[in-house]
Amino acid sequence: MAVVLDKSHRWRVIAAHVFLLAFIAAIIFPFLMIISISLRPGNYAVGELIPSEISLEHWKLALGISYQGLDGQLVEPQFPVLLWLWNSIKIAAMSAAIGLLLSTTCAYAFARMQFKGKRMMMNSLLLMQMFPSVLALVAIYAIFDRIGSHVPALGIDTHGGLVLAYTGGIALHIWTIKGYFDTIPVEIEEAAKVDGATPFQAFRYVLLPMALPILMVVFLLAFIQGIIEYPIASVLLHEKDNLTLAVGAKQFLYPQHYRWGDFAAAAILSGLPITAVFLLAQKWMISGLTAGGVKG
Amino acid sequence: MSDVVLRGIRKAYGEIQTIHGVDLDIRDGEFIVFVGPSGCGKSTLLRMIAGLEDITQGEMLIGGERVNDTPPAKRGVAMVFQSYALYPHMSVYDNMAFGLKLAGVGQNETRTAVERAAKILQIEHLLDRKPKALSGGQRQRVAIGRAIVRKPNVFLFDEPLSNLDAALRVQMRIEITKLHRELATTMIYVTHDQVEAMTLADRIVVLQAGKVEQVGAPLELYHHPANLFVAGFIGSPKMNFVDARISAVEQRGITVQLSDGSSVTAAVESAGASVGAKVTLGIRPEHFCFDTEDATNRISGCVMAVEQLGEATYLYLEVQGAADMLVVRADAAHPARRGETVQLRLPAERCYLFNETGLAYQRRAAVELSK
Ligand SMILES: Nc1ncnc2c1ncn2[C@@H]1O[C@H](COP(=O)(O)OP(=O)(O)O)[C@@H](O)[C@H]1O
Ligand SMILES: [Mg+2]
Repeated sequence: MAVVLDKSHRWRVIAAHVFLLAFIAAIIFPFLMIISISLRPGNYAVGELIPSEISLEHWKLALGISYQGLDGQLVEPQFPVLLWLWNSIKIAAMSAAIGLLLSTTCAYAFARMQFKGKRMMMNSLLLMQMFPSVLALVAIYAIFDRIGSHVPALGIDTHGGLVLAYTGGIALHIWTIKGYFDTIPVEIEEAAKVDGATPFQAFRYVLLPMALPILMVVFLLAFIQGIIEYPIASVLLHEKDNLTLAVGAKQFLYPQHYRWGDFAAAAILSGLPITAVFLLAQKWMISGLTAGGVKG
Repeated sequence: MSDVVLRGIRKAYGEIQTIHGVDLDIRDGEFIVFVGPSGCGKSTLLRMIAGLEDITQGEMLIGGERVNDTPPAKRGVAMVFQSYALYPHMSVYDNMAFGLKLAGVGQNETRTAVERAAKILQIEHLLDRKPKALSGGQRQRVAIGRAIVRKPNVFLFDEPLSNLDAALRVQMRIEITKLHRELATTMIYVTHDQVEAMTLADRIVVLQAGKVEQVGAPLELYHHPANLFVAGFIGSPKMNFVDARISAVEQRGITVQLSDGSSVTAAVESAGASVGAKVTLGIRPEHFCFDTEDATNRISGCVMAVEQLGEATYLYLEVQGAADMLVVRADAAHPARRGETVQLRLPAERCYLFNETGLAYQRRAAVELSK
């Protein structure tokens, strides 16, 4: 840009940079703390940021490798951390995929079809989602207990049940996707219909490809939600081998003994799949997909 | 190829009715233009033919078959949208091939069809591009190309040229005429621009507020408008209207008296006319005469403005008793200046006359011949 700038502009730029750097530092600091804690010997939450001595004991535990303790004894990993991580990934991916499928089709109906009570249904979806799910935990437990007595694969302490519980929370996703559909001119799908497409073909071959960025965003959000969710998972899952990492890692922190180091290593592990999915999804989150379709 | 028949077509959005019973017979291979002011229901009517809007009441036949409940895909129509409505995520080639792919046409055949259409429209070098890398005129060609590869029975165009600049519009107009000659397919074309309508149409359908005002060949509408609305809509600049009263009904026509006292005779059939009735006298800007030897059918006005276009000069006259200024087309070299008073003759055979409800008195048939 070659716009002529005011003198004070330079100072504003510098001030903005200082502010942003401070802001980034504030965000990054806790993250560095966790890395530091996971690499320090012993289980202390507080301490210097750059550890004076590096120990991989927490990481060995997290990755299921036994190690020689201080007292010379072989310490066996107590918890199946990697299995929990796998459970988390599996549940998050499944709930995100199913949730995306449901919310996309729902959003299509809300954005493109005319039916009675549309407005009311959209609003009530949002209102119900605003009710904190933590307060409904008892009900959720009771519901899945009952479901489990009919369909065991979806009952308490099953991953299917948890995925089902998670896919119930798609109201916001529906709103997000519907909002995006609304910005895509209807004429483009109408053109497809005149071109010989059935409504489903117009949806599949014309609308969906244009909505790809928002679908990726929603998938990512749902995936993150699935990885970090704690309350519902903690109520529905009991078996040690069934837990998600978010629930399992909590077991490092029991009142008599806070094992901060192990907890920190597990926390970083749970961030890995999120990062991986983000990097994958980013490829599709490109803007300008709908440019050029219609005269603006 | 197909004919299209509309029988008592009505459209209502909830309580509000926007199309009030349209009857129309569109012949096979005809170029029909729907013209009318913005919001009169042209697009709605076209979309009902395409199957994008359901028909509230009435019956529609395409190629002799009732299509009221047929989805757009099965009507054998192709449509060019005002906004182009290209598929932004597909290349130009895929945009044009989309319909054929859906129809299960083989790859070789598709390629041949697309390349042929691209050649007709001179967009062969653009086939690999995405729509966003095209100019407005090129996008419009792609939209038309997408329509022609499917070899539809009926083409529908919704103001396809309104987004283009003036020069390109003229060029595309000629190309669409050429296209119609080559394909000989029924075409229904919507526009609010009466020049487009006049130049393209075999027949024009003039719409106003969801009603058909008149259907006819371009020159028929120009010479024999059925009513005030059509008379004012067809022709540019628009026809001048002056309130008057019938003072005599004779063999050679109807004589009216303007409110400034002058008398004008219009060569129209006198059926239904009675002395004293209120009427509207109409005359087109290009039909005034400046010769002064004949003493009848004259009015005088004061020149309020002069517009010199080079090919002609338009005078804006204030005439006593007329609500609006009269627009007069004069020779480019006409010497009139602002503030002058000019004398004009209204040739009787050039005058139009409308009764109080706006219906035209039939003009004498000899008029076109003398043109
Ligand atoms: N979806 C709709 N709901 C309600 N009214 C509509 C709708 N679409 C069009 N209309 C009304 O129908 C009338 C005709 O619209 P349209 O056919 O688009 O006019 P045109 O194409 O001649 O400018 C307008 O008055 C418009 O407000
Ligand atoms: Mg329109």
